[in-house]
Amino acid sequence: MFTSMLGPHTRTILTASVVGITLVFYFTLMSDAYAWSFPFFEWMETTWFGVIGKTWGAAFAFVQTIHLLSLALLGGTVLAAEGRVLGFLLTDVSSKIVIDRCHVLLVWALVILISTGVFMACGVALKVYYLPVFWYKMLALGAGILFHFYVRRPLLRFDLEEINPMIVKMTALASILVWFMVAATGRWIGFSG
Amino acid sequence: MNELIYNFAVWLDDTTYSAMLHESYYMYNWVESTHVLTLMVSLGMLFLIDLRMLGYAFPDVPASKIAERLNVPMLIGFTVMFVTGILLFYAVPVRSSQSVWFRIKMVLLVACAVNAFLFHKRMNESVSTWDVEARAPDRIRFGAWLSLGFWSIVVICGRFIAYDWLDCVRDQPAFIEFLAGCLDGQTRF
Repeated sequence: MFTSMLGPHTRTILTASVVGITLVFYFTLMSDAYAWSFPFFEWMETTWFGVIGKTWGAAFAFVQTIHLLSLALLGGTVLAAEGRVLGFLLTDVSSKIVIDRCHVLLVWALVILISTGVFMACGVALKVYYLPVFWYKMLALGAGILFHFYVRRPLLRFDLEEINPMIVKMTALASILVWFMVAATGRWIGFSG
Repeated sequence: MNELIYNFAVWLDDTTYSAMLHESYYMYNWVESTHVLTLMVSLGMLFLIDLRMLGYAFPDVPASKIAERLNVPMLIGFTVMFVTGILLFYAVPVRSSQSVWFRIKMVLLVACAVNAFLFHKRMNESVSTWDVEARAPDRIRFGAWLSLGFWSIVVICGRFIAYDWLDCVRDQPAFIEFLAGCLDGQTRF
């Protein structure tokens, strides 16, 4: 009922609200939240995931590999879908089919990526707590998920021909960039600390 | 044979650029990051092709179309990975050449190449009869499963190279020393 009051641009308004609230939170309460979250990260290391991750290096490395493989799948789906939108890949296949089929795979990849990511974070919780690049990755991941489900998905439900081509191209480029940022910051965690 | 590989690795290790690459924090990390992140292009495309053959992706798009269109970006990705992989080996040649994981990875890469060749050969021979079907015939699906399995183990081995569990510098069981090609009295690791 509340969402119906917002009219046809519900998702856009909600996304803008979430982004606005996040920015306000970041600039006012972030330092407090950073301190408050410390016990949570301490607790993460005491969980089963944390203990396994810290005790068995091979288990940690194996989960890291699954994380990488799901990242590869996510990257493949993003590049295939955005390549179609930008007009350099699978141009002789309907854009709607490519976008929809890639979306299903992207969701699967994202679920595996987040599950394995939680396991890995538990194993090195206190290390990542002090790493700025970890927080950049979390911001990038949050931005990627919000962008994908609340900006790109609703927009590309329309026929591409009905949308301003510049907006379509900017959306595709933004999608590639945001997921690349997620991957690159993740890689950089390995080099830090 | 192991002595030959070791001597070659030591010679590479003594070259100026190998030391420069290894000691350069940013350059080495850029090369390694490029190697890992290009997985999204190479393996990403490969997964889409294999999953199409298995019926889990693009079931309503002809299989040949997916394989042909995604082949080019996949090969570009593999080329970048190959070049950066050589650079990574060049930066740490002795340890890499005596890593069990690296050796398994190299054998599996050959297996992947043979599998890809047979996969494409069989696909091109018969694709006209099943192109629009959601799932490829058993033989092609078997090739797709093999491809997914081999490449997953390649990534596992690649990740495990970073760990020193089975390095020659540590005391290892005879079997591991044999696999890694450790030499008696070697001075460089």
